[in-house]
Amino acid sequence: MTINKLRLGAAALALTAATAQADTVRVTVAEYSSLTGPYFEDAAAAFEEANPGTDIQIEVVPWDVMLQKLTTDISAGANADLSIIGTRWLVDFVDEGIAAPLDDFMDDEFTGRFIDVFLSPSVFDGQTFGLPIAASARAMYYNADLFEQAGLESAPDTWEELVEAARAIDALGDDIAGFGMQGAQIETDVYFYYAFWAFGGELVQEDGTSGLNTEAGIQAAQLYLDLLNEGLTQEGVTSMTREDVQNLFKEGRVGMMITAPFLATQIRNEVPDLNFGVAAIPAGPDGDRGTYGVTDSIIMFENSQNKDTAWAFLDFIFTTEWRARFTGGEGFLPVQTAVAAMPEFADDPVLAEFAALLPEARFAPVIAGWEEIAERTSVALQTIYLGQGDIEEPLTAAAADINPILGAN
Amino acid sequence: MRRYDAILPYLLLAPGLFLAAMIILMPLWQLSVLSFSDVNRFGVPRGLTGWDNYARIFADPDFYRAFWRTVVWTVGIVGGTILVAFPVALILNEDFAGRGVARVIVMLPWAMSLTMMAIVWRWALSGESGMLNSALIWAGVIERNVQWLAHGQTAFPMQIMIGILVSVPFTVTIFLGGLASIPDDLYEAARLESASAWQCFAELTWPLMRPFVNIAVVLNTIYVFNSFPIIWVTTQGGPANSTDILVTYLYRLGFRIGRMGEAAALSLLMFLFLLALTAVYVALATRKGRA
Amino acid sequence: MSGPGARRLRKSALCWLALSPLLVLCLFPYAVMFITAIKPASEVLRPTWWPSEPAWHNIVDMWNATGFGVALFNSVKVAVLSTAVALAVSVPFAYALDRFRFTGEGAVRQFLLVTQMLSPIVLVIGLFRLIVWLGLVDTTWSLVAIYGAFNIAFTVWMLQSYFATIPRELEEAAWIEGASRARAVAQVFLPLALPAMTVTAIFGFINAWNEFVIALTILRSDSSHTLPIRIFSLVAGRYTVEWHHVMSAALVATVPVAIVFSWLQRYLVRGMSVGAVK
Repeated sequence: MTINKLRLGAAALALTAATAQADTVRVTVAEYSSLTGPYFEDAAAAFEEANPGTDIQIEVVPWDVMLQKLTTDISAGANADLSIIGTRWLVDFVDEGIAAPLDDFMDDEFTGRFIDVFLSPSVFDGQTFGLPIAASARAMYYNADLFEQAGLESAPDTWEELVEAARAIDALGDDIAGFGMQGAQIETDVYFYYAFWAFGGELVQEDGTSGLNTEAGIQAAQLYLDLLNEGLTQEGVTSMTREDVQNLFKEGRVGMMITAPFLATQIRNEVPDLNFGVAAIPAGPDGDRGTYGVTDSIIMFENSQNKDTAWAFLDFIFTTEWRARFTGGEGFLPVQTAVAAMPEFADDPVLAEFAALLPEARFAPVIAGWEEIAERTSVALQTIYLGQGDIEEPLTAAAADINPILGAN
Repeated sequence: MRRYDAILPYLLLAPGLFLAAMIILMPLWQLSVLSFSDVNRFGVPRGLTGWDNYARIFADPDFYRAFWRTVVWTVGIVGGTILVAFPVALILNEDFAGRGVARVIVMLPWAMSLTMMAIVWRWALSGESGMLNSALIWAGVIERNVQWLAHGQTAFPMQIMIGILVSVPFTVTIFLGGLASIPDDLYEAARLESASAWQCFAELTWPLMRPFVNIAVVLNTIYVFNSFPIIWVTTQGGPANSTDILVTYLYRLGFRIGRMGEAAALSLLMFLFLLALTAVYVALATRKGRA
Repeated sequence: MSGPGARRLRKSALCWLALSPLLVLCLFPYAVMFITAIKPASEVLRPTWWPSEPAWHNIVDMWNATGFGVALFNSVKVAVLSTAVALAVSVPFAYALDRFRFTGEGAVRQFLLVTQMLSPIVLVIGLFRLIVWLGLVDTTWSLVAIYGAFNIAFTVWMLQSYFATIPRELEEAAWIEGASRARAVAQVFLPLALPAMTVTAIFGFINAWNEFVIALTILRSDSSHTLPIRIFSLVAGRYTVEWHHVMSAALVATVPVAIVFSWLQRYLVRGMSVGAVK
């Protein structure tokens, strides 16, 4: 009886709420930094002012628990109208009919705002299911002072040169590591792909099977293991998250590392005296080279009751002014032509280096269950880095686990 | 009056039972449905599949490894906690200078949330910028930085140590309550019969403390078995799954990899296991208590 | 020379010596938290044990950057109300368990233990659906009810072991004087039970104060977030973690609890004394 009463009360509440908030749009937002929440709150306020009667509710969620929160929300049918998601998850949302196609809302002018390479990962079978809200690529950061001390003229262009440079820098002191290597948590697999692609590897081969245990995979893993065994990396690789390695780089204790543009933003804010440079990710023996391109998309839910207002809000935050503020604040790459052309982005030497790498960028393959593949790969890599046996066996085992997910055998 | 008295206890229990039932029975029902369903990536059931989810759990070698690690984890923390908390409670029950201060310090880990405690330790255990290493180097215990979280062999014992640390205050509290309940005249009598300190302990303290030890074991086992933040925050079960216990395995299944059906099945299995474990323990403890 | 004073001194020293390893371990996380919280931003990544100068402004910065005030208010509200709920249902519960013999008593006790057996991270899936069904998403009221319900098991156990120490004769005397059962409880029993209720309340308060997973699932807007969510969001997956802010936040959230705890510890043990575990 108590439950029924409660329900009645709740229903009555919901009813009044529904009439009062005909134009309410809930937006789930991932927290990239301390600036993310305030940015979206400001955008929402500006939008509400321009469109009286609308109500935009921003719900900021920490990245680490984003997928968990989305899952619980969706499973209970309590999801928002719009949400930021990792584009690598998008295919799952599309397959389950959760993400709404946006093509009916988009006109040529709107599509034309975007740089194609960033919009295309969100397009499936000719339909656009998400808009790139954040984009980054990876490049190699090097500590210019350490390079000078070690007598190195320029950043290494191949992995072979990188090993040499790492040796020279590592000799500078006990506290200094030549090459910073990530070995824990999210993107442990990605850190491996940099070398894997350079050796000509493909994550999914033409026959649809995993390429992990191919020659390229073994060579790349061997290269990393050699760096590790020779003591050219920082210690404790298997406990080092991307953020840990970045911290060491900021401290001037790592000669080189591969990461995203936002490290440059952080360095400017936190350790402006650090003398660093950005270069392309080293190439393999045959000149192959690959950087990882990542976008996060903002999607509209198929079950949204307020698609028109939700779209109007999307249209609003994808104007040049709001895009520029977001991109600059968070340290991402511009996803729109007009933003990229603005002097603060066009004249930035770091961003220029990243932009130059974009033609080589590879995005996470569009595969349902990508998260599981990444997880499995990371575990295999950690096994190798820990030196618990040979290289081929963990890679083969991982590939065997991955193939069924890819739908191959 | 008589009839009223007969239903009165049930009336008194009703609100509490109702609330408690709501938070346990509803979720249990939901989980049961999910565990027998084909559930999509986002936890939406798409029809029943029978025992498929259970079968897939039992076919996963990671499950067995996580299970045994959970056994080590639970036995290690619960055992370690009792071993530490019992003598500590005995000492804190003595009358000595500064006892109040000592009690407060022992209780301190309880005041911090488990998530926060885990975050602080993760920061302290960090190999290069961790304050544990710098403290140990300063104290001359180690010569160079130890990469605590880089290997399961060092990470897991550390996590168990943290688990013990956070379980001790609760357990000491239970034990202190128990010690305070032993009437002083019993000891007086023992002393008159010139019993040794050891005899006092073995024949008075320990038997009288048994019920308190039992409740501490049961409650700690339940909490530790399901404890998530310490391992998740420090290593997420890594490196290479070497610190993975059932709860972290479950979390990855449900919320990372998106196999909600299997996660539901596993959580029910864990629940039943815990239920059986406590039932057996309670049965054993009460039987021994009577003998 | 070896009078009782000296003996006590030696005993005290021995006691402290025996406890010292544990005490160091207990204090260690607090030391790390405190020192990191007052380190200037540029020194945070260096594992030194003392900052070149204490940066007290970290705490103010953190307060503003995280919207600490609102979260603090929510946390206090949820913790106080949920504790009140737990006590309101647990006192009659524990009273019934202690003062009555009735069929199903054992089953009720077992059931309480069972409510603690599902891991919270699983429980949230089911709980969340319940909350959606009730239309209580994003309300701190749902947390009040859930935390209250969770605390029942422990609260009942604590209260009941204390109630067992309150002599029945006192109530019976009141009945003989013609008081009704309810009046006897209100005028004789409850005043005696007050210390136990206080102690128990603090436990409930701390559990609610620190809970994270359920709060994260149910709450959405900034204005309803509780402290653990605000603190966790400082570390969880941001591209850079401002550790000095994280530790300041943790410090500010923990120290009040620690102080209450130290004031409480004498009641803590006394409150639980004598009560046997049945």
